[in-house]
Amino acid sequence: MIKFDSVSKRYADGQEALSDISFELSRGEFAFITGHSGAGKSTLLKLILAMEAPSSGQLIANGVNLKRISASQIAQHRRQIGTVFQDHQLLHDRSVYDNVALPLEICGYQPNDAARRVRAALDKVGLLKKEKSFPEALSGGEQQRVGIARAVVNRPSIILADEPTGNLDPELSAEVMKVFQQFQSVGVCLLVASHDAALIERLNCRTLVLEGGKLLADQKPRPVL
Amino acid sequence: MSATKRRTANSDQARPKRNTRKGQTESFTDLFRLHQRIANASAKRLAQTPASSLITLFVVAVALLLPALLFGLNNNLASLLSSFQDSAQVTVYLQDDVSEIAGQGVSDNLLTRSDIENAYYVSASQALNEFSAASGLEDLLLEMTANPLPGAIVLTPANVSPAAVDDLAAQLRELPEVDVVQVDSLWLQRLAAISNLAGVIGSVLTVIVILGLFFIVGNTIKLAIENRKAEIRVIKLVGGSDMYAARPFLYTGLLYGLGGGILATILQAFVLITFNSNLEVLMQLYDSDFRLRGFGFMSALLIVIVGALIGWSAALMASLRHIRAINP
Repeated sequence: MIKFDSVSKRYADGQEALSDISFELSRGEFAFITGHSGAGKSTLLKLILAMEAPSSGQLIANGVNLKRISASQIAQHRRQIGTVFQDHQLLHDRSVYDNVALPLEICGYQPNDAARRVRAALDKVGLLKKEKSFPEALSGGEQQRVGIARAVVNRPSIILADEPTGNLDPELSAEVMKVFQQFQSVGVCLLVASHDAALIERLNCRTLVLEGGKLLADQKPRPVL
Repeated sequence: MSATKRRTANSDQARPKRNTRKGQTESFTDLFRLHQRIANASAKRLAQTPASSLITLFVVAVALLLPALLFGLNNNLASLLSSFQDSAQVTVYLQDDVSEIAGQGVSDNLLTRSDIENAYYVSASQALNEFSAASGLEDLLLEMTANPLPGAIVLTPANVSPAAVDDLAAQLRELPEVDVVQVDSLWLQRLAAISNLAGVIGSVLTVIVILGLFFIVGNTIKLAIENRKAEIRVIKLVGGSDMYAARPFLYTGLLYGLGGGILATILQAFVLITFNSNLEVLMQLYDSDFRLRGFGFMSALLIVIVGALIGWSAALMASLRHIRAINP
């Protein structure tokens, strides 16, 4: 599903954000990326989303070679990926409902069909009652959950999440992870950037450890006793 | 909810999904509804900033009005010109020694020519009678022993273009019975040249105005995009194409063009009314009932369509360029 093959990312100022990263995630796999801030977690997610192009190496996601992707392919590529952004990236002049419906509208879903899916997604994150609210009226945690609903509404084949539980209390974090695991069970590939060590420990998933742009460790889940 | 709506909702559940991908847009009706929604949103956005929207509309309208007026006035001039040309006459004065019978014969001969529409003979005595009646100098003329006026043939050329009339006049001068051929085509030529010039100025002005409109609408759209940069960034992040992000702005451009066009036709009507009330006074002095005619429904429609097209395409160019530049 996602394949990094000696991928490096150097910015124009010479700073090397990622160097020689290689790993592969298959269908239905759930992995964490962890590391200190500045370790390259966000850059790695940006590469998968085609927000940045790799400087060297091969990067294939969803069967698309992201080194040779054209501008028109980028939009198509992003539609297959649900992304939860650290800073939510919500539209403040649209209601919660319209925010979550945006990916469906872009793909041209029928209004009836879209409504069903939007409500199902909002229900999953416990915000069904807030569908008419505007993002500014919501707490940070609620905004984050709107972002999560938007990421999953289109039933993407890949879900990327950048600190999705950063603003959530442990109980809600567990809820969100349960939603993610539901998607994992139907074959969605998930990559979650987080530095919530307790959460990572508890979920016992594959964990990629980044440090200074290098892949320090690729920890497989502990065998369940 | 209407009965039909409910029925389609039910049948949706009852019938298995047709071979569309993930329930994507199936019909033009859905597409139409989507566009209607975007158009409504664009209109609402314009209404949220009424002052600046109105100013832009007004600028677009005035820009469209200038060439429209020039073309309209020129059309009036051209129709005035052709009404003169229809009655363009060539007067052929015959030699003094041509008798009435011979003169009538010459006139009849001319009628057989294909380049002459109509010809009638005015004998010397007829001419004298008409002149005395028109001039009021009957008494004086009665005292004259000889008629000083020649016989004449008044003819209407079939082809009224200045070149053809000149050509015809040259041929008529060759006839032995003919003394003088008088063609009043010079002023017609001048008027035609003025009308042509007005047409050329109109065309040049139109090109300039179209360019200007592109800049006006393009710049307005550019500012609108600048104001909604964050929104466009989010749309691009969740997979919206540039064209998808551009759609609301295309409607904004279309609305500016459409609204500006409609406003231009209204302004044009006002200009016409003002002109005509003043023209009436002038034309009464000339004993003419000439009026500026309205430029008609079709030309009003043309202004609106041209405005809408320019607005839309300017928005297309501006939005694709500026939206492409926004990288999430």
